[in-house]
Amino acid sequence: MEVSFELNGDPVTVTVDPHVTLLDMLRKELGVRSVKKGCEQGECGACTLLLDGAPVASCLVLAPQVEGRFVTTIEGLEKNPLMIDLRGAFIDNGAVQCGFCTPGMLMSAYALLRDNPHPGMDEVKRGIEGNICRCTGYTKIIEAILDAAERIAPE
Amino acid sequence: MKPLPQFQYHAPKTLMEAVELMDTLENAKPVTGGTDLVPLLREAACRPSHLVDLNNVAELNYVREHEGFICIGATATHSQVASSELMRMAPAVVDAVSRIGSPQIRNRGTVAGNLCNASPAADSAPPLLVYDAEVRIASSGETAIIPLQELFAGPKINCLEPNELVTEIRFPVPPESSSSSFKRIARRRAFTLSVASAAAYVEMDGGVCSESRVAFGSVADTPVRAPEVEELLNGNTLDDETISMAAMAAKRSVSPVTDIRGTAEYRRAMCGVLLERALHAAAGRVS
Repeated sequence: MEVSFELNGDPVTVTVDPHVTLLDMLRKELGVRSVKKGCEQGECGACTLLLDGAPVASCLVLAPQVEGRFVTTIEGLEKNPLMIDLRGAFIDNGAVQCGFCTPGMLMSAYALLRDNPHPGMDEVKRGIEGNICRCTGYTKIIEAILDAAERIAPE
Repeated sequence: MKPLPQFQYHAPKTLMEAVELMDTLENAKPVTGGTDLVPLLREAACRPSHLVDLNNVAELNYVREHEGFICIGATATHSQVASSELMRMAPAVVDAVSRIGSPQIRNRGTVAGNLCNASPAADSAPPLLVYDAEVRIASSGETAIIPLQELFAGPKINCLEPNELVTEIRFPVPPESSSSSFKRIARRRAFTLSVASAAAYVEMDGGVCSESRVAFGSVADTPVRAPEVEELLNGNTLDDETISMAAMAAKRSVSPVTDIRGTAEYRRAMCGVLLERALHAAAGRVS
C-alpha cells in the first residue's frame, strides 16, 4: 500500500506493506539511520522520534499509521537552536559514549525542554525514562540536559 | 528480530465503518496505540488476519464531561488523560496514567487499550474501578454499557466478543467532598510493571469517611475491588486504628500469585502498606 506523510518538513510517499513498522520503513525505504533498532518492543527508546511533535517509539508504530501525519527525526532538527544547544551540552558533558542511544535520547530531551524549559532533576529523569543507555549510567546525560536548559533559557 | 506477521490493515474514518469492519472481517483485531499489540504480534502471541485501526475515527478521541459522567474516548492516550483538566476531579486516575510506561508509551498507548488488554497489572484499572467506571461497547447489535469489572474475564482475557469494540470508558462526576489516590510498588519507579498496586477513593463528611471504594492490581486474576475493606472504612473517621484494620482486611481480601516480579506473600503484605498510603493520600487531598 501507499503511505504519504511529512518527513522532516518534506512530503514523502512510500509503497510499503502494512506489517512494516515506521522504524523499518525509515531505515530501509528512506535511508534514515538515526532511528536505531534496539529492542523492537518499545522498551529501549533508541528508535524515538516525534510523531506530530510527541516522542514515540517508532518500532511500535505501523507504517500506514503515519498517513497524513508529521514525522520528525533528529535530521529534521539539525538547525534547530534548542537541538544545537542540546548537542553541544551532550558533547561538553561527556554524555555520549558508544552513541547508540544518543539520537533517541536527544529526541526525548528535546521534547522535554521544548515543553518545560526549566526542568528539575526529577523531571529530567522522567523525561528520559523511556530511553536506556548502557554506557553512561545516566548521570552525564542528566547533567547535559540540565546544562542545555541553562544555555537555551538562562534563569 | 522476527518481522511482524502479515495482516491486512484498515483505517476507518467513522465508528459506523469500524463497527461494520469488525462485524464482517474474519479474525479482526482493533488497534489504538499498539504499545501492547505490536509486541504481541512480534511474538506471534496474537495472529489477526486484519487490524482495524481506530486512530482516524475522530469521534472516539476525547476526554469530556457529558450528562453527569466524565468520559474517556477509545483513542484518548495516557498523556491526553493525564493532562486533562477534568481528570483533576479523579486524581487517582492521573496518578496511574501519568506513570504508565514511559513518555513514548504514554503518547501512544490508550486507557481503553490498557483496560481491554485485561492485564491484572494494568495500572489504569484500580483507579477507574474505585470511580465505578463503566465501559461502552459498540457492535452491529445494540450499544452496551457494562461495569468495568465485567470487562475483565481473567488474566489478559477480556469479555468482548470478536466483533465488539470498546468505544468509551466513563464514570460519574465525583462529588466535591471526594478524592482519591493510587499507589504502586515496582522494582523501580520508571517504566516497569507493578508488583502490587492499590487505589483508594474516599468521600469525607466532617471528619468521617461517608463512602469509600478500594481496589487492587497485580494481586488476583484481574484487578479487583475489595468491598469488605470498604465496609470497615464507611462511616468511620480515618484514624490510624481504622486504617490499620482496613489494611489487615486488605491483606485477607486478595489472592496473589508468586511470579518473576514478586512472591504471593510479599504482594499480600504490600496490599496493606499500599492501602494505608493510598488512604492517607486520598484523605489528605479532600479540600
